[in-house]
Amino acid sequence: MQSWRRKSLWLALSASWLLVLLRVFPLLRLAVPARPWAGAPQGWPRWLDAELLQSFSQPGELPEDDPQLPQAPRGGSCDWGACFDVSKCRGGGLKVFVYPVAGPISDTHRRILASIESSRSRSVSPDEACILLLLSLEAPAGECIPVPQQWNGGRNHLVLSLHPAFCTQTFQLGQAMVAKASPMVDTFRPGFDVALPLLPEAHPLRGGAPGRLGQHSPHPGVPLLALAEERGGWRTAVPDSSACPWDGRCEQDRGPEQTHPGATLPNATFCLIPGHRPDALHFLQALQAGCIPVLLSPRWELPFSEVIDWTKAAIVADERLPFQVVAALQEMPPTRVLALRQQTQFLWDAYFSSVEKVIHTTLEIIQDRIFGASAHPSLLWNSPPGALLALPTFSTSPSDFPFYYLQRGSRPVGRFSALIWVGAPGQPPLKLIQAVAGSQHCAQILVLWSSEKPPPPRWPKTAVPLTVLEGQRKVSDRFFPHRAISTDAILSLDAQSSLTTSEVDFAFVVWQSFPERMVGFLTLSHFWDEARGGWGYTAERANEFSVVLTSAALYHRYYHILFTHYLPKALRALADEAPTCVDILMNFLVAAVTKLPPLKVPYGKQHLEARPPLAPEGLESQPPVQDCINRMAVEFGYMPLVSSRLRLDPVLFKDPVSVLRKKYRSLEKP
Amino acid sequence: MCASVKYNIRGPALIPRMKTKHRIYYVTLFSIVLLGLIATGMFQFWPHSIESSSDWNVEKRSVRDVPVVRLPANSPSPERGDLSCRMHTCFDVYRCGFNPKNKIKVYIYSLKKYVDDAGVPVSNTISREYNELLTAISDSDYYTDDISRACLFVPSIDVLNQNTLRTEETAQALAQLSRWDRGTNHLLFNMLPGGPPDYNTALDVPRDRALLAGGGFSTWTYRQGYDVSIPVYSPLSAEVDLPEKGPGPRRYFLLSSQMAVHPEYREDLEALQARHGESVLVLDKCTNLSEGVLWVRKRCREHQVYDYPQVLQEGTFCVVLRGARLGQAVLSDVLRAGCVPVVIADSYILPFSEVLDWKRASVVVPEEKIPDVYGILQSIPQRQIEEMQRQARWFWEAYFQSIKAIAMATLQIINDRIYPYAALSYEEWNDPPTVKWSSVSNPLFLPLIPPQSQGFTAIVLTYDRVESLFRVITEVSKVPSLSKLLVVWNNQNKNPPEDSVWPKIRVPLKVVRTAENKLSNRFFPYDEIETEAVLAIDDDIIMLTSDELQFGYEVWREFPDRLVGYPGRLHLWDHEMNKWKYESEWTNEVSMVLTGAAFYHKYFNYLYTYKMPGDIKNWVDAHMNCEDIAMNFLVANVTGKAVIKVTPRKKFKCPECTAIDGLSLDQTHMVERSECINKFASVFGTMPLKVVEHRADPVLYKDDFPEKLKSFPNIGSL
Repeated sequence: MQSWRRKSLWLALSASWLLVLLRVFPLLRLAVPARPWAGAPQGWPRWLDAELLQSFSQPGELPEDDPQLPQAPRGGSCDWGACFDVSKCRGGGLKVFVYPVAGPISDTHRRILASIESSRSRSVSPDEACILLLLSLEAPAGECIPVPQQWNGGRNHLVLSLHPAFCTQTFQLGQAMVAKASPMVDTFRPGFDVALPLLPEAHPLRGGAPGRLGQHSPHPGVPLLALAEERGGWRTAVPDSSACPWDGRCEQDRGPEQTHPGATLPNATFCLIPGHRPDALHFLQALQAGCIPVLLSPRWELPFSEVIDWTKAAIVADERLPFQVVAALQEMPPTRVLALRQQTQFLWDAYFSSVEKVIHTTLEIIQDRIFGASAHPSLLWNSPPGALLALPTFSTSPSDFPFYYLQRGSRPVGRFSALIWVGAPGQPPLKLIQAVAGSQHCAQILVLWSSEKPPPPRWPKTAVPLTVLEGQRKVSDRFFPHRAISTDAILSLDAQSSLTTSEVDFAFVVWQSFPERMVGFLTLSHFWDEARGGWGYTAERANEFSVVLTSAALYHRYYHILFTHYLPKALRALADEAPTCVDILMNFLVAAVTKLPPLKVPYGKQHLEARPPLAPEGLESQPPVQDCINRMAVEFGYMPLVSSRLRLDPVLFKDPVSVLRKKYRSLEKP
Repeated sequence: MCASVKYNIRGPALIPRMKTKHRIYYVTLFSIVLLGLIATGMFQFWPHSIESSSDWNVEKRSVRDVPVVRLPANSPSPERGDLSCRMHTCFDVYRCGFNPKNKIKVYIYSLKKYVDDAGVPVSNTISREYNELLTAISDSDYYTDDISRACLFVPSIDVLNQNTLRTEETAQALAQLSRWDRGTNHLLFNMLPGGPPDYNTALDVPRDRALLAGGGFSTWTYRQGYDVSIPVYSPLSAEVDLPEKGPGPRRYFLLSSQMAVHPEYREDLEALQARHGESVLVLDKCTNLSEGVLWVRKRCREHQVYDYPQVLQEGTFCVVLRGARLGQAVLSDVLRAGCVPVVIADSYILPFSEVLDWKRASVVVPEEKIPDVYGILQSIPQRQIEEMQRQARWFWEAYFQSIKAIAMATLQIINDRIYPYAALSYEEWNDPPTVKWSSVSNPLFLPLIPPQSQGFTAIVLTYDRVESLFRVITEVSKVPSLSKLLVVWNNQNKNPPEDSVWPKIRVPLKVVRTAENKLSNRFFPYDEIETEAVLAIDDDIIMLTSDELQFGYEVWREFPDRLVGYPGRLHLWDHEMNKWKYESEWTNEVSMVLTGAAFYHKYFNYLYTYKMPGDIKNWVDAHMNCEDIAMNFLVANVTGKAVIKVTPRKKFKCPECTAIDGLSLDQTHMVERSECINKFASVFGTMPLKVVEHRADPVLYKDDFPEKLKSFPNIGSL
């Protein structure tokens, strides 16, 4: 009994101690003010009954959500779905009607009209038009344009004003889209209005002012920052610890701030631009100079912000933290600086360098809205060559274009289509067909019969399918995007061309490495003729070239689309007048898109002797031909051709090793 | 526990004395029990008094135990939202400050229960989703428990669903938060805004300057660049297991699964179904389901019953039509099923539209175009449809699938606005991982031919072969476009020769002494390099003519993003050994150029020194070999392009050749080089080198043309 009592007593005693310790110990933990366990989870509590919490919406509430008819847009607010009637926009091209202006036509007006005419859009009568364009310009004596007849509440109207002076008092804009320079963020209707850049008075109409970026990376001596000044100039500021973008070590202070009052274009890596509207003009200057714009809380909408990804080319920072911004710029890794810098220049060149480009971009944005799902993907807008040159009517998949293989991690299709143009003499090029069909890369042969004579009923048997297409007896027809072309690469040939199978094979292997360029065998070079004060070209062999003849050239089939749908009609007509011009025109086009010269591959001497001269001889006797290069240069607004001094040969070309080791040995025949 | 053990041990020794000290033990026992009681009592009451300081403690507590806050009827209420708010006007960026990590700090208010004067709760304390959301924020890098360091404040007042709360009182609750300050830097999450009858598209709770992450904004209520548009979370995401289904044509071209559709729109949809037959499926609520079947998970067409959301995987395009609210949870289900959403909700701001490119994953159709929807969709090519299907599924995986994903995307968007220089790019937001892997973004993407006037900087790496070095310097200095010559003196034991001994050349010559004899010194981005073009040249390359070097520079100008070099090499796959092999024979192909003589952009020096993947740089320095192969890998990997070999093959003094002392040495060298290729390929995780069959020669090379008239006559001569 006693022992039982004693035992129970001890049990009770120890149990109570246990209780005390268990209870007190957590209290001791709580009482210690410092956070005792590093890394222990802190923050929002894990609720014991978290599992029992109710969902934010009861089942059934989401689907039951009462249906309701759409609300009418409230006063003044408009968006694309509510205020634009797409039904009139069916059919090829954008149908535009431009209101005529009463009285004298100003110079700016004329420029805009000209650029609309040269765009891919069509002019139609106001009843058929998809877009009615109203040019809002500074009227001479502060007068405003009267409300036009077909106004209809502004529906399907685009009010375009390149310069900020804007006249809204006379009538309500209502449902009209407004495209104006640097609109204020507060009044801008995203997805409906279009933000234009604030252009300087003397902006070139066509071709455009070239970008000033001479090199990819900033020059080591260039200051980090330039500040936009009120008077329109730029001030380069050298912060105390001037940054050297290429590694951590930096040169010492370059002295006090330098002022260049006369300089209109900044020479710095970054350009600080205050957020007020007048400073928008600086924005374009920075772009042109390849100076990365750093916008301090801009109150205006960035130009074409609907499609251009400005984070790739500019930095929008908070004006309240200037020092933080400068510190961040100094620490920015060179890779990012390099990417931003190149993007500024690409954007300048693609969308801003001329009035024409600005207008075309505006129309292209509206066209994209109409297209909906088949609009330009963002990649096409934001990487070279830009959306004006990458037409979504060709394809909406970037992998189909010659420009984006790397970004998409894809390759062009490994075969080519030979497109043989048979002109007036009407001789079927049997030898050529055999030579081309012998290539392992040839997928098909298309004969474009453009002769008066009917095509022969029988064609030689070839390893690849041969199709005869009826041409329209126009030279420009050879660059028409025929449906029969099934490969990415086209080998364009004349009936008179003469090529060997190895030449074709090698040229195609080279093209696969450069799918955006033209690869050719015979070349021309252009030059500036001081005596005549114009451009000239020559077929004489020289140390450099800038044109490859399309009578034997490989290129991407997309260029057929551009040739037919992008080039103005006038240029194509010019090419039809003088057939040699067509070579130059095609080269102009490809060079304008790629900004690079074409490529030349070896061409056997034996052909030169066997064939009639390819290039015109006695240039002086054919002034219209010689002149087409100048007329094209005028139409383009600049000279896009770029010269090259190299030729791509097979790796062992004419090397002193056994011919048996060489893959393209027949290229070496004397 | 320790103590009790101790007593037990000591116990037996005390037993004999127990009888005499009986009383004392009872007293002790009593006192101990009393102490225990006091301690227990204290524990019961303490937690409430220390509530404010114990917020940080992750402790298992019940939601029902949170403190109650009584809101007097006349307590202040915030103003309605300010529609003109922008980050630079309504957001206090000073709170975010400079931050080396470029991350905003987010503070979460502790949970309280709000009641009005009458003691009636203002809202449900917290929903499961809002709890998940706050947990996700609290677990993320953004979280801070220090209210004074926070840049963004998230109230724990749950406003996800406006139906479950009392607007005015909730606003009062917001206004009494300790750092409210007109709502500056406060972020509210709301998925179901508005209420009957007019269903506003933004939360009706007056919130002054607070940012709103809302799931149903329209263009009239959305403050671009300030608010964040978020998805309406679909609880089915967690409830149902729906395995991914690959892209491709599916049984129904167009599918509508929503139950509450306005009768007018349902008529339009059913007309489509009548016109296009089997390819269109319009589902409705089931009317005659047996008891116990979850009606949310079933859809019907006439008498046919379909499982929801599984049926969505049978559709190529799925209609997401507005209800009373613009934001619909069905969007999330549709994306998950890899069905391309056809969004029919005028003026709706799609979720995360600030950063996501919805054109790639959806089709937006105006409401009045419902009858034409079929035609619009049919004009989209099949390839694009498949890409959209893939993209839709990826959007769901990345930004829709959980409350956490939604919360993180929202904070990232705000973070990107505050630290724009560290913002995620379009590609990072939009490209699915497979595209990110295979795509190459060339760092020198701008097609640009640098002006010839800039010239190039020659960098000669030397150890102690002074005589040969001087010959190289003399030869290179004859090249017209040379603008500077840099000698990297890699010998620490010997001083470079006196100034007077060096050859006199027309361009500046600088000698850089290195701290250590490392091969990577050749690729260091020296400040002295002022030109973009760099010519790396060994101190024994004396056989290159000035014509060849000048031509090489001109070729580089046409290909500034590539390595342009003279001796070419090739990598081959050895089928017997199942690994890569290095080849220096006369081959028809080239995939590398030796940097014993090569032009390249100086940016690659920066990449080599600071961005070389893995341990390659140290490995090269340790093995004193293969720096050129490493450079070839690096450039090919970052640009996705092949090298350009210039001019015909020459007898070169090169590593392979200098070591020729017999076959065996040559072979060891080749084995070592092969090892390098295999090592680098494994570090890069891929074989970036590109094989080409061409080299660059002057236009008139070996042509039948007077030598005198050629620009580069002296090429290829031995």
